Amino acid sequence: MAKREESAMWSIFGYLLSGLLFWGGIGFGLDKWLNTSYFTLIGLLVGISGAIYLVWLRFGRE
Amino acid sequence: MRVLLRSGEGFVPPSSNDFELPPIFGDNAYTTKPILLVFLSVILISVFFIISSRKAAVVPSKLQFAGESIYSFVRNDLAKDVIGHDFLRFVPYLFTLFTFILVNNLFGIIPLLQFPSMSRVSFPYVLAMTIYIVFHYVGIRKQGALKYFKEIMFMPGVPKAAYILITPLEILTFFVVRPLTLALRLFANMFAGHLLLLVFILGGDHLLQGVIGLKLISPFAFGIGIALTFFEFMVQCLQAYIFTLLAALYIAGALADEH
Repeated sequence: MAKREESAMWSIFGYLLSGLLFWGGIGFGLDKWLNTSYFTLIGLLVGISGAIYLVWLRFGRE
Repeated sequence: MRVLLRSGEGFVPPSSNDFELPPIFGDNAYTTKPILLVFLSVILISVFFIISSRKAAVVPSKLQFAGESIYSFVRNDLAKDVIGHDFLRFVPYLFTLFTFILVNNLFGIIPLLQFPSMSRVSFPYVLAMTIYIVFHYVGIRKQGALKYFKEIMFMPGVPKAAYILITPLEILTFFVVRPLTLALRLFANMFAGHLLLLVFILGGDHLLQGVIGLKLISPFAFGIGIALTFFEFMVQCLQAYIFTLLAALYIAGALADEH
């Protein structure tokens, strides 16, 4: 059904975005704080994996 | 291109400055074009639906038919399909949302008005805020605050350690990203659409003032401008639809026991 797909698409987009923003943001903060340069990357990777995991939980399990 | 142009000034490409319109009456910030357009939209919508439903008859007039088809579209295709059995009390809200956004978007291509008020970001923000309030309120009323928030934060059937990874994302998605993307999608579509029209139509106008070779190109710019106007019409209807659809889906999600 088109409406469900539309809604799924936007929630997936939302999850991916918040994953990157949240864990990427934490990594960025750590980098600023500790004067390092790799935590942003780690944070982004953790964020995107968490988001994909969440998408799988929400939409892939049925 | 600038070398070819005879008359002095170069082309000033349209930018976000074109959206900052001066007040029409006096010196206050409350009579700018977008604000007046919003008021106009309210008047237009009210008048249209009052007139179209006033002499409601079994055999509808054309006007009544038009009004009723918009209403039944929102009622059946959006509210009933998405929200389910408890849909009726949300129809007025969704209907207002849909017509309001639709008319304000369409102002972008109506001659003489030609400014989509939703391309000023504050209007979509306020609309998204109303949705934010409505769907959280509905969810809390239906399930109780504790259960509602627990259901958002802790999805059942997930290993405990995964909550550290997931719960912040759920909270961020539900309370920040969703309303924000809702508003920004509408805003960005209207903003970009208006800018696109400005580029081709102002560009076509500017080409007309160039040398003869440029004058010959100018009709193509205008042609693309006209084609894009039709395209914009589609985008404007679609955005009003998507905004209302997502609002209905968020309400449906808050009403459902299981997400």
